[in-house]
Amino acid sequence: MTAETLYSIRNLTVEYDTRIGGVRAVDDLTLDIYKGEILGLVGESGCGKSTLGKGMMRTITTPGHIVGGELWFEGVDLMTLSELEMSNIRGNRIGMVFQDPMTSLNPLMRISEHLIEAIRTHYPRMSEDAARARAVDMVKDLGIREERIDDYPHQFSGGMRQRIMIALVLALNAALIIADEPTTALDVIVEAQFLDLLRSLREEFELTILLITHNIGVVAELADRVAVMYAGKAAEVGPVESVFLDTKHPYSRGLLKSVPNIDVDDQELFKMTGAPPNLIAPPSGCRFHPRCPRAVDLCTDDEPPLIDVTGDGHLASCWIYSDLPNRPTDGVG
Amino acid sequence: MHDPMLDEVPPEEQWQVDLGEVGLFRRILNGRRWYGVDWWMVVISSFMVAFFILIAFFPTILASYDPLDQVGPRFLPPGETPDQEVIVQRTDSDLESLADLAVRDERVRTGVVQGAPSSEDIRSQADRVNAELEAGGSDDEVRLRIVRFDTLDEMLTGVTTGDVEFGVGSNAEITAVLDDYPELFIRGPITGEKGGKSFPLGTNQIGQDVLSRLAWGSRIALIIGFTASLFSLFIGVPLGLLAGYTGGKFDRVFTLIMDSLYAFPGLILAIAIAAVLGPSIINVIVAIAVLYIPTYYRIVRGQTLSTKEGLHVEAAVSIGATKSSIMRRYIFPLVIPSVAIIFSVNIADAILTGAALSFLGLGLPPTTADWGIDLARGQEFIQRAWWLITFPGIAVMLIVLAFTMLGEGLMEIFNPKLRKQ
Amino acid sequence: MTATDPLVEFDHVGKFFPVPTGLISGLRSKKEKPAVRAVDDVSFTLERGEVLGLAGESGSGKSTVGRLALRLLDPTAGTVRFDGIDLATLKPEEMRRTRSRMQVVFQDPLASLNPRMTIGQAVEHPAQIHLTDLSPKQRREEVYDIFSAVGLDPPKYYYDKFPHQISGGQRQRVVIARGLITRPDLIVADEPIAMADVSVQALLLDLMMQLKDEFDLTYLFITHDLATTKYLCDRIAIMYLGKIVEIGTLREVFTNPQHPYTRALLAAVPVPDPRHRRTEPLPQGEIPNPIHPPTGCHFHPRCSIAQEGVCDVERPTLLPVRGIEDHEVSCHLRTGAYQELDPV
Repeated sequence: MTAETLYSIRNLTVEYDTRIGGVRAVDDLTLDIYKGEILGLVGESGCGKSTLGKGMMRTITTPGHIVGGELWFEGVDLMTLSELEMSNIRGNRIGMVFQDPMTSLNPLMRISEHLIEAIRTHYPRMSEDAARARAVDMVKDLGIREERIDDYPHQFSGGMRQRIMIALVLALNAALIIADEPTTALDVIVEAQFLDLLRSLREEFELTILLITHNIGVVAELADRVAVMYAGKAAEVGPVESVFLDTKHPYSRGLLKSVPNIDVDDQELFKMTGAPPNLIAPPSGCRFHPRCPRAVDLCTDDEPPLIDVTGDGHLASCWIYSDLPNRPTDGVG
Repeated sequence: MHDPMLDEVPPEEQWQVDLGEVGLFRRILNGRRWYGVDWWMVVISSFMVAFFILIAFFPTILASYDPLDQVGPRFLPPGETPDQEVIVQRTDSDLESLADLAVRDERVRTGVVQGAPSSEDIRSQADRVNAELEAGGSDDEVRLRIVRFDTLDEMLTGVTTGDVEFGVGSNAEITAVLDDYPELFIRGPITGEKGGKSFPLGTNQIGQDVLSRLAWGSRIALIIGFTASLFSLFIGVPLGLLAGYTGGKFDRVFTLIMDSLYAFPGLILAIAIAAVLGPSIINVIVAIAVLYIPTYYRIVRGQTLSTKEGLHVEAAVSIGATKSSIMRRYIFPLVIPSVAIIFSVNIADAILTGAALSFLGLGLPPTTADWGIDLARGQEFIQRAWWLITFPGIAVMLIVLAFTMLGEGLMEIFNPKLRKQ
Repeated sequence: MTATDPLVEFDHVGKFFPVPTGLISGLRSKKEKPAVRAVDDVSFTLERGEVLGLAGESGSGKSTVGRLALRLLDPTAGTVRFDGIDLATLKPEEMRRTRSRMQVVFQDPLASLNPRMTIGQAVEHPAQIHLTDLSPKQRREEVYDIFSAVGLDPPKYYYDKFPHQISGGQRQRVVIARGLITRPDLIVADEPIAMADVSVQALLLDLMMQLKDEFDLTYLFITHDLATTKYLCDRIAIMYLGKIVEIGTLREVFTNPQHPYTRALLAAVPVPDPRHRRTEPLPQGEIPNPIHPPTGCHFHPRCSIAQEGVCDVERPTLLPVRGIEDHEVSCHLRTGAYQELDPV
């Protein structure tokens, strides 16, 4: 399967104006999303992952703004589009699923009305009856009982509403789905059901999904590739097995080892020292160097680029994997 | 057991620390960027409020005269210099001032026009000069013989012919016809002062200076506004706190009372109370205070009810804190900001109600220099002397606007839920 | 109140919240006012020095159990005992004093700290109330000691900070410190790490373990995350819709889960290993409406082994698993009278 790029983020920088100065929530980030994949975007609070999601849709509002970069999607740099053109893409070609679906669903509209409107946006010449029939099909595909299609959003549980959101996104035939913490508000079993659903839908509809979450377990279960963000930059990107089992970046190592694994007995959790940096005045060189057990002078002086470590699409922004003579050593353990 | 995690100060803390170091003044200036319109509202209205408070404390900054004194002609329009009584004499006369006449033994013939106040004015001026001379130890005296002419023309002719030493009459009238009498010139005002009195906003129907009344009126307005609001606050807030926190019968009874009071059209209630209590500034304050107690009560009670459900209150219960301690340390400090904001808007409303009450003739003694009273009196003369009602009206409007804007602006800034992030 | 008394004992405890109905329908049927049975006939003990995990999803009643244990809520039925004493019999003043022995750590540290108090004042407040024989200076020293114990060093620096001036992880440490200053016997921790960052959660878990040894604590650890319970707990109870469906030692419940719901929960927990494949099928549907729970066994509509005529009719009770010590399950087909019907 050749990896065809669906969405290409190039050197994206997003800044927020705060009382003290500018905060670069996303700093010169370059990342590709391939067609048909589920890319997991993980990180802790303040790493910039939600900002990245919003930036990709150009829905960043004051006090934030996109300072620079290109967003290539279906042959067009979205940064060059007008607001009107952009709004045509949002919800049509790129769908978003949020943590709380109530914010996206009109409480005064029935689910059927939501779906029919979405379907007819994509197929303007479809009759209302045909659209309704299609809506019923979709809803059944998603495990919602047919007779509930005329209910209002508040009559559904959280898990159901998320399914409705997926239905809407599918109805619009979006090429890319950006899901920002879609399961964080859901109970464990419902979350698992939802992940199963996403997996099967991805097969059936050839979806491309950007899954933004802080839940490492969810990413491990669902994603094909994963990108770990730290302080507004990408620390590590690669195929999920490679990243989890052969973690390269010291931060990702610490992060992945600090998550309790229910399958492991007598687990030793990794305790990461320090705290995420102040983004108004980030550390010089590599952002992680103050907390990194392997840091050397080089790390304080220069910021490492994303380096291809394995030759197989597993990248890490760490000097260890460069071929510089003064690079730090990797005391793998 | 040192936790290495805490070697570095975490980010939120760092910029908060930095924020703490940003001086207050810079924060106020930077506020313009952060808060936009609201910032301007608060700043402008703060200046206005400060201005009014300054005037209320030191009315003499604007008020040149005692507000109750009749210091000028009646119905003088704003900006006009009032007409004065002047001395008109022959160009060849060497008379410089009234005092010069003191050396003459005879009574000096002085021309006036029949019916004008000139004779009294010149006589009182002469008395004043004589008093000064006597105080200076002189024996000399100014003695006048008033000669009345039927018309201004005749009087001026009389001065020209020498029938009278000099004439006294209205500056405006004499100036108008002076060209016809080339031998005459106007010496100046009777009193010898250069320049005259000025009444920038005109005078009212009694001759009082409107500006001075406005300035002194601000004091009454603010006293009523502040005192009434403070009364309401000190009664409404504790009741609201208690009712919100303890609930039960106390809450039900008081809420019933407060809601009934609140349901009353405010002004009517104030009128009723003021009418019953009688005219005096204290009674006006009481009437208005009663009006606003329910507002504080309801807001504080509501805030208390919602704060009470907060997790930190539950935590306080779990550590074994007493009810009073919880109210004092966990609920009251969170309720205060909203109270402070209502206070400002409350003052605006109180001033308005106070003005309305005095407009209706209730409350204040009729001789007080008060905007409401001026508004009431000025009504009748709205065609003749528009300035009598306009300026007090503008003053009321501005002060109410200032306090309201201040309160609303502060509310927008301090209430994060309403503020767009 | 002997040394062998369990520290906490729930004896057929129930907590019902009446559902507000309209005036008319409220007048109509006085008999069965709809109520949410947040906690329904729950019994368990918590021994000194142990960590009991209380796991479940939303609506399971676990948070309510926590609050009942601290008497932040009063039970509608049954008895809650602390160190042998029925909490409901304590007079308000006695209860206040007993509170120094049982403290809570809530999920949201920002919400559970008074925004207008410095964190030093917040942690000192319980000492002011209960450690009355200390001078103010000694009290302060206590606060500094506790701050150091939870890793807020240097303590003097942190004393004057306000909650919003410190990070989330530090705030949770403050809450823990506040809970420890009176040297309680029991700590009820309700999702204590859920709001912290992933890497901070590990630190907090570690801290809680250390403090348990250092301060001789007993924990009631309430969570929805089973992976965390594995790290911390000695025993675990699984709750569903207000009832305990399975309870036992950690080892037993995790390696030999009996109740279908427990099995489903364990299967559903996301595992941070991409090679992991779920072996157990997930139950269908979602948690039912707690106002109208299913008849008989609450889990039966979603249960893969439910037997018609039994599971939808009769309520099961907690009974021991045959031959195993300290493992009880509430299921007709596992430990109840109908084990021969078990298709397994």
